[in-house]
Amino acid sequence: MDTVIIDGLSFALPLFIIAIGGIYSEKSGITNLALEGFQGFGAFIGALSAVLIANVSGTEIQNLFYVALLFSMLGGMVFSIIHAVLSIKFKADQVISGVVINILALALTTFLTAQINAFVFGTASDKFQLGVSDRFTIEGLANIPVIGAVFTNVYPFEVIIIVIAFFAWYLLYKTKFGMRLRASGENPHSVDAAGVNVSKIRFSAVLISGLLAGLGGMCFAYSISANFSSNIYMGYGFLAIAALIFGNWRILPTLAACLLFGFAKSGGAFIAQSMALPSSFTDLFMILPYVLTLLLLIFFSKSNRAPRALGEIYDKGKR
Amino acid sequence: MSDYIIEMKNITKRFPGIVANDDVSIRIKKGEIFALLGENGAGKSTLMSILGGMYEPDEGEVYIRGEKVQISSPTHAAKLNIGMVHQHFKLVSDYTITENIILGVEPIKKFAGLFPYVDIRNANRKIEELSKNFGLEVDPTKKISDLTVSMQQRVEILKVLYREAEILIFDEPTAVLTPQETDFLLGIIDGLRNGGKTIILITHKLDEIKKIADRCAVLNKGKLVEVLDVKETSTKKMAQLMVGREVNLESDKAPAVFKEEVLKVEHLTVKNEDGFEVVKDVSFTIKSGEIFAIAGVADNGQVEIADAIAGLTKVSGGRIFLNGMDITNESIRKRTEYGISYIPEDRQSFGLVLDFDISTNLALKQYYREPFARKGILNKEEFEQVGTKLIDKYDIRSGQGIKTQVRSMSGGNQQKTIIAREIELQSPLMIFVQPTRGVDIGAIENIHKMMIQERDQGKAILLVSLELEEIMNVADTIGVIYNGQLQKIASSESLTTNEVGEYMMGAKHEQR
Repeated sequence: MDTVIIDGLSFALPLFIIAIGGIYSEKSGITNLALEGFQGFGAFIGALSAVLIANVSGTEIQNLFYVALLFSMLGGMVFSIIHAVLSIKFKADQVISGVVINILALALTTFLTAQINAFVFGTASDKFQLGVSDRFTIEGLANIPVIGAVFTNVYPFEVIIIVIAFFAWYLLYKTKFGMRLRASGENPHSVDAAGVNVSKIRFSAVLISGLLAGLGGMCFAYSISANFSSNIYMGYGFLAIAALIFGNWRILPTLAACLLFGFAKSGGAFIAQSMALPSSFTDLFMILPYVLTLLLLIFFSKSNRAPRALGEIYDKGKR
Repeated sequence: MSDYIIEMKNITKRFPGIVANDDVSIRIKKGEIFALLGENGAGKSTLMSILGGMYEPDEGEVYIRGEKVQISSPTHAAKLNIGMVHQHFKLVSDYTITENIILGVEPIKKFAGLFPYVDIRNANRKIEELSKNFGLEVDPTKKISDLTVSMQQRVEILKVLYREAEILIFDEPTAVLTPQETDFLLGIIDGLRNGGKTIILITHKLDEIKKIADRCAVLNKGKLVEVLDVKETSTKKMAQLMVGREVNLESDKAPAVFKEEVLKVEHLTVKNEDGFEVVKDVSFTIKSGEIFAIAGVADNGQVEIADAIAGLTKVSGGRIFLNGMDITNESIRKRTEYGISYIPEDRQSFGLVLDFDISTNLALKQYYREPFARKGILNKEEFEQVGTKLIDKYDIRSGQGIKTQVRSMSGGNQQKTIIAREIELQSPLMIFVQPTRGVDIGAIENIHKMMIQERDQGKAILLVSLELEEIMNVADTIGVIYNGQLQKIASSESLTTNEVGEYMMGAKHEQR
């Protein structure tokens, strides 16, 4: 039972931070289907820098976890500039831009990984081996029945994500930047009339989404996959989008949706394991989060409301 | 220092194809209400947009408090204490009044001396105070989506007051208000003036100018015609100057001759998408030779009634009869063929295909049958012949004749195209929803004339309008709607404008 909670949390929280990235972008009025690409590219840059530094300095790669995190955020952010420029400066269709970025990220990182492995490290591999980040357990708290699992075998990134999530909430709901950002997604004309540059706000929002998605992707790479490869493109970005839609573009409900997905995934694995099914059936249980997504869509689509100006290209002259 | 707070000297502003302002000079005194009068396209809004920092003039100079300025942006205008209350509100409907007002000029406090946050509480207090001082009566913690149009407008006023505006520009502020709300607003504007503010009022409503303005500049086709002292000028003279010729908005019409009943609506109930009843148990009849007008504040169910009769909305209760035939569940095409013409409110989305040319748009309701089509093949020649005939008959003006794309035409000519098509159907029942919205005074006169002509030829006409003046002018019978219910049905002679206004607000009740 404990493993369900432990694995569920370690899956839900990276998903959550990607979803927060999506909330930032979409609250500002920019549809963001590129989260999948952002998290993958962020993880690629993070993994690449960790592998390079480990190679040069001889440090154990597990100890470079924080360096990798930092670079993944940077990588995700730089990659998100493509989406920002296309959809804000060139007023391109945001859905198309997002889809194209996802395809680009997959192709580019797969290619580069193989090439860098071949020419820099001289190995024929399509992945960067990372290992699994160290975990810690808070003694005392961990002994509480059931809830104790929350404090057992915790990845450090889970704490980081919670802290960042709290700051993200503060920035979005308490500061003037957040107020202007949310207004840009509801009625950009009002923001413009108040003498604030809508494009700038939206640009920063998309960059923030790239930064957070990159972080989330890196966390996946350092936990469930233990490496970087094209397997990172498992649809986490899309699951995050589903989570933020079920969460009605609000942070706390989105956390609830992510937890649901996390526990569905770990619960599915647990059931498959305890029933001792052959591995082909385990895969069947792994689709649980996605089936859940489909079911939830039926119930939530009606009551949830997207930001009013979401996906609309902002044109100053038009009323 | 001169006596004038604003001086605009020899302003010229050109847009591709037109001169919006042609050598216009006006001077405005501190503490007066200065009205700008003119038809659509006369250049009033352009002139004020220059003052508000949206446009820069091609020629001419602007002086504020005696100093020459180049107003480069709305923010710059705000710094010069100039504030504009726009005709189209720019509000975030999910935000509270306070949040909307402080957007862009948020007061900041620091939590634990480190984390800056927006100080909503303080702003609430300040806005409440402002609202009290000028009699605006708003609760700053309310959300915009819960407010009436008139309240939203007051939020826009507070927005500029919060930014410490001394010069307030109102762009057609009463276009969206009921007579009672208009009076309230005019009271507020008067109060602002008495509080030392300078007011510029853009309008084409003469009675408002007469009521509160001190002076009035008349613009026509981009040129300044005259600056008048309002007290010493008759409204008739103003109207004449504005249009450049004599106008007669009080349509003279022959007394109505009602004949047989054409439309009968019985206990009509319509629900909107959320399952909420927007039309509740409405019954009325329209006879041949009668103009029946539904008066009401926007969004009280009047458009849904028209849509239900035309077949655009499903009916959830009641019956509709056309010439004694039950058409409650008929398709739109069947209804058209049985005899309903429909001029929709949103002419660009529902009335026209903007990227098609005039002749095609004129044939939209008959293209599938003879003589426009034979055995399913369109007959282009017939389209062109009919198109050419109708352009001439209805005086539809366009750049390239029948081949003109409708999108490129002015609102008035687009409307003429729809009306021409609908009249040509020769339907016994014609439905007009907001037929004069956004068209200028000359076109309004024309549309009213056509409606009355059709009535005299024995058509039954249903008119839905938000313009009370229009209804009082044209209608034979008035039904006043409030909250989805008809409050009163009476002949137009038996009602005064004020009475209708009271029924519109739901202040008066009458069971039939």
